[in-house]
Amino acid sequence: MTGAGATLFVVTAIFAIIGALITVAARRPLRAAMGLLVHIVSLAGMFLTLNAHLLAALQLLVYAGAIVVLFVFVIMLIGPEAETGPIEGRLVSRSTAGALTLAVFLVVATSVGGFDAAWIAVDADFGTVEGLGLAIYRNALVPFELISITLLVAIIGAIAIARSPTE
Amino acid sequence: MTTEVLLLSSILKIVFVLVVTVGAFAPVLIWAERRQSAMIQDRLGPSRAAIVLPPSAVAFIDKARLPMWRGFALTGIVAIVALVAVTWVAVRGTNPLPIPTATLTKALIGFGAASVLLRIGYGVHGMIVRNQGKVMVLGLLHPLADALKFIFKEDFVPPKSDKFLFAAGPIIALIPAIAAFAVIPFASTLHLDHWNQVLPRTGEVAGTIIPMQVASLDVGILFIFAVASTGIIGAAISGYASDNKFSLLGGIRAASQMVSYEVVLGLTLVPAFMVYRSLRLEDMAMWQHEHSWGIFNPLLALGFIMFFTAAIAETKRVPFDLPEGESELVGGYLTEYSGMKFGMFFMGEFVEVVALGAIAAILFFGAWDVPFLYRDGFDFRLPFMASGIVVPLAHWIVIAIQVLFFLLKIVVFIWFQLMIRWSLPRFRYDQLMKLCWKGLLPLSLLNILLMGVFILSGVLDKYVGLLDRL
Repeated sequence: MTGAGATLFVVTAIFAIIGALITVAARRPLRAAMGLLVHIVSLAGMFLTLNAHLLAALQLLVYAGAIVVLFVFVIMLIGPEAETGPIEGRLVSRSTAGALTLAVFLVVATSVGGFDAAWIAVDADFGTVEGLGLAIYRNALVPFELISITLLVAIIGAIAIARSPTE
Repeated sequence: MTTEVLLLSSILKIVFVLVVTVGAFAPVLIWAERRQSAMIQDRLGPSRAAIVLPPSAVAFIDKARLPMWRGFALTGIVAIVALVAVTWVAVRGTNPLPIPTATLTKALIGFGAASVLLRIGYGVHGMIVRNQGKVMVLGLLHPLADALKFIFKEDFVPPKSDKFLFAAGPIIALIPAIAAFAVIPFASTLHLDHWNQVLPRTGEVAGTIIPMQVASLDVGILFIFAVASTGIIGAAISGYASDNKFSLLGGIRAASQMVSYEVVLGLTLVPAFMVYRSLRLEDMAMWQHEHSWGIFNPLLALGFIMFFTAAIAETKRVPFDLPEGESELVGGYLTEYSGMKFGMFFMGEFVEVVALGAIAAILFFGAWDVPFLYRDGFDFRLPFMASGIVVPLAHWIVIAIQVLFFLLKIVVFIWFQLMIRWSLPRFRYDQLMKLCWKGLLPLSLLNILLMGVFILSGVLDKYVGLLDRL
């Protein structure tokens, strides 16, 4: 990784962690949503260090532009009673959650620390719109279409459940 | 290319974009809109802001008028004499005077320009004296006065609101609008080493090449949509953080309207990507420069009309200004904002108007492409003419003409948006959503399908070839 790339990675990583912490720790739901926004924008920045410009743009478009807006929308519709909720949970569940988090962290840290595979040079069109398009439509057309149909079925199902049959 | 050149050119380009959008377009737009509304409603409007000069300066200006008039008359007579002489030379073909013809032409241009400038100066001085020392530039000082007012006005924050989010809202709304300009090309590439030469019309040119846009990204226009989509959150959270029912309703309306129309905004442009075969804005401009403007393609023309409709809805302007509809919601999500925070929302809205005008100009109207202008200068050639009238121009002049023409195209689209602003009544909310989901969305999907059929059947290639021959 070059100097500028490393700097960008460190900066975006710090912001991603701060955003994630705000998301989890904020008492007000809307501030948590803003923490998620910071996290998502920093993740998009991290994709840039991996030369995946298209993925970064789509990350912003889909997650920042649609998912976070959806969260904000739901919070706004529920209204002020969603402002602060008491944090519930017994000692057992809390300590279990803490232990699980620690375990995941340790597993990730050891696997990253023990990583010694060689770096692979990528093609010139790696991460470009053309490269991704060819990869999807030449090598993975059937899975891609299957995912599309699954999503469509999910949308139709959601509408069918949400609307009462009398209408 | 050396790093210093790259860095310096990038900084210059960023400064240019900021000066043009935030510094020039947005304030003038605010003034133009207020002025236009005043004209339609038969009011005076913003024309009274003035800088008041002291009486001694006014007396001095009054004294300077007579010398200016004399200067105008003298230079004018010289220019007319030179004009007669040049015409004589041009008609008779001989020069009986002891002065060479080149000097005569220079004298005509120089003295003519000086004369015009002195006459304008005389008029302006007279106007200042008649206004008792008030300098009013058509009311263009109003944006300045507005900015001063915004800065010094009391910055009211609702006491029970979420103060952090209340302050963050305008920032989140403004920044994406400005960031969109990062990928917009203002002209074709600049060949720095040959800036004062006439370049060949086609072919590669060696030396330093500077693209006339801040960032040349592979994702191109997707970047604009990506940053613009985060702007929705600004309006939504400011509506929520204002602790006001009207603001909340306005915020909800703004968020749902912008999310809905963003889908249409993207889909209406897909046929254009299919024709230009690129997402890069500079490639799209180049394609149109080499072939023909996108608007001459019937399907793209339909796409343009739908894009423009969706663009006006996306900027939340009349007739789609339901998020701030004053008859229902006081001021919508803007209700509690005052001072510079309100100014930032206002600024963001107008910068977005400029950005969408620029996108429309690039995708459908050839971006910086000027009819008959090539890299080596003008070549006025029509299909029935045997040979064109060629005017070779230096490279920097060509680039300057391209930038000016691009800005002119943006101005035309802005003018069109302002005309719509005062021509149409506001939609009802269900009509707005029906137009989006039942009107524009299926139509844009159909447009994509038709364009795909045309491309695969080869009709498009034939059509483009036909236009190329014209």
